[in-house]
Amino acid sequence: MNNRFAGQRVEVVLIYQSLLGLYGDRGNATVLMKRLAWRGYDPVLTLVEPGDPLPDTGDVYLLGGGEDAAQVSAVRGLKADGGLYRAVERGAAILAVCAGYQILGNTFTVGYRDEVISGLGLLDVTTRRGPVRAVGEIISRWNGRSADDQWLTGFENHGGYTRLGAGVTPLASVEIGVGNCNDGTEGAVAGTVIGTYPHGPILARNPAFADHILELALGHELEPLVHPEITKLRRQRLARVRRSYARSR
Amino acid sequence: MSYYPSRTMSAMSISTARLTAATLAGRAVGAASRLARRGTGASIRGKVMLKIDPGALAKLLAGKRIAVVSGTNGKTTTTHFLAAALRTSLDPHAGGLVHNADGANLHHGLASALSQHPDAGIAILESDERVVGDVIKLGRPEVLVLLNFSRDQLDRHHEIKGLGRSWRTALTDAGSNGPIVVANADEPLVVWAAMAAKQVIWVDTAATWTQDSSQCPECDASLIRTQPDPTSGLGGDWYCSGCGLAQPKGDYRVESGTIIDRTQQVWDPQLSVPGVFNVSNAACALAAAELMGVEPRAALSGMRTVTSPAGRFATARFGNTTARLLLAKNPAGWAEALPLAQTQTVILAIDSAAADGRDVSWLWDVDYERLVGRSVIATGRRAQDLAVRLRYAGVDYRCVPDLAAALADHPEPVDVIATYTPFQRLRRMGRV
Repeated sequence: MNNRFAGQRVEVVLIYQSLLGLYGDRGNATVLMKRLAWRGYDPVLTLVEPGDPLPDTGDVYLLGGGEDAAQVSAVRGLKADGGLYRAVERGAAILAVCAGYQILGNTFTVGYRDEVISGLGLLDVTTRRGPVRAVGEIISRWNGRSADDQWLTGFENHGGYTRLGAGVTPLASVEIGVGNCNDGTEGAVAGTVIGTYPHGPILARNPAFADHILELALGHELEPLVHPEITKLRRQRLARVRRSYARSR
Repeated sequence: MSYYPSRTMSAMSISTARLTAATLAGRAVGAASRLARRGTGASIRGKVMLKIDPGALAKLLAGKRIAVVSGTNGKTTTTHFLAAALRTSLDPHAGGLVHNADGANLHHGLASALSQHPDAGIAILESDERVVGDVIKLGRPEVLVLLNFSRDQLDRHHEIKGLGRSWRTALTDAGSNGPIVVANADEPLVVWAAMAAKQVIWVDTAATWTQDSSQCPECDASLIRTQPDPTSGLGGDWYCSGCGLAQPKGDYRVESGTIIDRTQQVWDPQLSVPGVFNVSNAACALAAAELMGVEPRAALSGMRTVTSPAGRFATARFGNTTARLLLAKNPAGWAEALPLAQTQTVILAIDSAAADGRDVSWLWDVDYERLVGRSVIATGRRAQDLAVRLRYAGVDYRCVPDLAAALADHPEPVDVIATYTPFQRLRRMGRV
């Protein structure tokens, strides 16, 4: 491995799996760890559960999807801890998926009575219950990217609809699926903080996006890795989802 | 002289006539479906019946002694255990026993099974988690066995807690007319739902899957656990840090592969199906059988005759290949099935049809890393998703999406683990 950063320690922090680990999003950590190891880095995975302090040494912090009550507990724990705010100030990369995305925002709602809960305020977005639950395959076009890398593929499953404020830019534009709130946008970006809806997990199905997260955290570019099975999965997913969407029109 | 009956038909006989018509029509399409090799025909038969007579299910349930089994995993095997236990002691005058043995467990599946033995005095039914409430209301079962809750088909169910709430509501509404519940005490959401029943028999199943119950179902505070110990076979306990809800003491217990009944008698189950989780299922069936009037020795002797409930754990021939079929539908099920797969070559079949769940993100919640050192064949319509998962797990694999090709020409026996849809296809291909 010809990598001048070989042996560099990189810490991936997986936050509150017991609360925000419902949809395979721990796979995002698996993917990052392996992509670092394959390039010769020394990756370290830190699992943090409610009550444990978040480490101040993390390079990437990951949040996943979960149920309503779990979201409320997660916000409470992360506010009390404060470590995620310090991580953002330090320029660490944050990837938050689905319920994790919603709790990074200003407010979101939970329960049958749509109780409004204050989020962490790390992304200028607001989430409210939508007219219909968004469930299904989603394809979006990653803003600023080209060629095959631009297509983000995943599976969305969320009842909340998210509106973006002036302090964020959308991550992608939706080709098939609901995304943020059926307004054509998907996800939100502010500096090194990224929120997005799709599971899959997102980083398994979109290796360029995985490497982007790592590059944000490391501050340097990574050599590409080529894995035919991932290329084939992407081709298959994009084709099948587009075909079944075309049939349903 | 008139060809027509002089009196108008009573409401009851109209109702019976409609049920008869529905049953006959259902039987016809079921037979057609079987002939077309589209499965057992149970679902389509039931669908047609309920279309012609929406009240068919309630009528078919009426007047029977009923035991219902539900939960995410283990329904089919537990129901087979319970049916086998009861068959050992059937009253020959009671009209026999009906059982939805093929696992068709939605409204139409239940109606279909019941209509095939309308005179049976006892019905042993596995019920989909979403149908439990209706079965309690329509059938007034005597016993309800609640096994477990874990993440499964989240594209349809969305939240596990909602299912638990529906069980709790149905039990509350049924009040003193409701069933006696046999409940897995290791599962917080099951316990919370079962507490609404008029009477509960708790089974300490020594369950080891805890990833889907980190919060108290009553107050949302964190649950505290003592860790289960898979080597000694002792399950962990749980209690709530907020409201004090805690694991109830088991009336029956599973310990180190044995079942301890409510009189403290220790039973070596000696089942014919593998897996510690099946000892847990057997403990629940044993408790239910006792409630239905069968003593443990007889019940266990019946359960030991269960070898491959609805094809699970069956060994089948596929050309020159001998394969054992294991079903795993969700991360908890995979955690049970993976340790059972012992062959050097292991075939894993993944699909995302509606019955499998359309979202296969769960592949990343399964510990495929434990297959490092084995040769894996990834097959099924979502084989490519599994291939990527196995690549990241560092497992040697070949991707052969076609099921028949994946099964072909293995000189040594192979274990196959499949999600629901490919599992059913394999059963048809292997005739088990």
